[in-house]
Amino acid sequence: MATKADELVAFIQERCLWQFASRAHDRDENINGVLSLLGVILTGDSPQLETPMQRLHFANANLLAKEVKVAFPWLAEIPKEDMQGVLSGAIARIHELTVEKSLNGELNQPGY
Amino acid sequence: MPMKLLDCDAGIPEREKHVYIKEAGEDTTKFLPVSNSATIPGSLSERGCAFCGAKLVIGGVLKDTIQMIHGPFGCSYDTWHTKRYPSDNDNFQLKYAWSTNVKEKNVVFGAEKLLKKSILEAFDAMPTIKRMFVYTTCSTALIGDDPKAVAKAVMAERPDVDIFVVECPGFAGVSQSKGHHVLNMGWIHEKVGQVEPVITSEYTINFIGDYNIQGDTDVLQRYWHKLGIQVLAHFTGNATYDELRGMHRAQLNVVNCARSAGYIANELQKQYGIPRLDIDSWGFSYMASGLRKVGDFFGIQDKVEALIAEEEAKWGPQMKWYKERLQGKKMAIWTGGPRLWHWTRAVEDDLGVQVVAMASKFGHQEDFEKVIARGREGTVYIDDGNELEFFEVIDMVKPDVIFTGPRVGELVKKLHIPYVNGHAYHNGPYMGFEGFVNLARDMYNAVNSPLWALAGQNIQGEVL
Repeated sequence: MATKADELVAFIQERCLWQFASRAHDRDENINGVLSLLGVILTGDSPQLETPMQRLHFANANLLAKEVKVAFPWLAEIPKEDMQGVLSGAIARIHELTVEKSLNGELNQPGY
Repeated sequence: MPMKLLDCDAGIPEREKHVYIKEAGEDTTKFLPVSNSATIPGSLSERGCAFCGAKLVIGGVLKDTIQMIHGPFGCSYDTWHTKRYPSDNDNFQLKYAWSTNVKEKNVVFGAEKLLKKSILEAFDAMPTIKRMFVYTTCSTALIGDDPKAVAKAVMAERPDVDIFVVECPGFAGVSQSKGHHVLNMGWIHEKVGQVEPVITSEYTINFIGDYNIQGDTDVLQRYWHKLGIQVLAHFTGNATYDELRGMHRAQLNVVNCARSAGYIANELQKQYGIPRLDIDSWGFSYMASGLRKVGDFFGIQDKVEALIAEEEAKWGPQMKWYKERLQGKKMAIWTGGPRLWHWTRAVEDDLGVQVVAMASKFGHQEDFEKVIARGREGTVYIDDGNELEFFEVIDMVKPDVIFTGPRVGELVKKLHIPYVNGHAYHNGPYMGFEGFVNLARDMYNAVNSPLWALAGQNIQGEVL
């Protein structure tokens, strides 16, 4: 499971700009927003699209879902509960790379 | 290999923190170049000043606005006409350079009266123009002039004019980046919300961080028009002053240049709840991805797919032709900051070109996180590169072509290495589908030009 999450993380690191927002709180919001919606889309559930931010995260997640389905055919085969495990692992690792252990000295500055 | 101290930097070992070579298994939590920090004395930096970042990059693009530079004339001349950002009103912004032409006596006795006189003269000389940016420079900031008070007095006398003051002298920051920041934050706090735009579509965006270099904005505008999306403000390509005052009414901020304009996108999200969507508008596959995201946001996926299919049918065969001929070429990108991460995967995915060295003049660590995540192993990543480092890195990685600005470009030309203007382009636009074909064509022409080798031949003494 960890390997699958690592593959997903490597792909996301290379392709997605939303994880690299200027401030830690924005990175948190984007990582949780996009990757939780990615799980909803990949498992075939209907996403909630009521607020502008939900639509923003959907825009980022929907494209990512299409790309990872092509890049990782195993996504179509794993059970729903395993999928959640992979995504939880990916969220934790992306968070670690871009927030917790980031060497970016500007991440926690007040204001933009 | 962690951070790298190049041989030429033996006398300035602090430079080791600014040069990184990526190896397998490494990520940005292990190594990340120091950036957006003061240039180390002894390093021959290629950076510009903070004032330049505000005026040349962002403010000077506006097509209906006088750019009054409060300082010696050199500050005005040196930030005029070096970037080609056209407009659809006969290029008003490219035709003129405005300055208060501060002299020694003004430094001694103050220059506020001179500033007011210059503002009034400029408006009188151009009676159809009612908008102005005023910039402080090093000299007028040091003497303590108060340009905001002057602007306020002029606006009180002439209610039909509006003036925005950018207080960002050249010494205010370590590079152009400070100028971007000051202008962004000043504009959002002082001007956004003052004009109510006329809404003509159910889909509205601001397009942020595209400066219409050789018509980039025109290419993208055609896409938005076909999709039925109204762009309330282009920040700042081919834009008017008042369009930027109405940015608060957009439903979405679509951001290309996150470095020069991410600040205003963040503030628009925070203050007005307008989401920020980052895209890459250079590159075939990236452009398609960006459009698809916008389509998903508005629920107009069918229109987007039709547009992408049309563009790919039109430009895809040419991209394929260039890819077959550029595959495996080695490229260096030495530009401002964001083009490193915008371009490194785009040229590899679309053209099969490998980016072997990248240098940023004013990027922050956020930019290096992006580019190291996207870039290749073995590639050299440099913050605030100096001239000797460029010589050494060229010997290390032996690029087939270098995309950089005219300053470093002159150095590169003297080494007879193919060079393409990565800032203002050779023959743009470079954005969008057709734009990346233009970039590929310029790269192909540069790599295959016989002139580089001929220029290296010594024909002194030959009988012609």
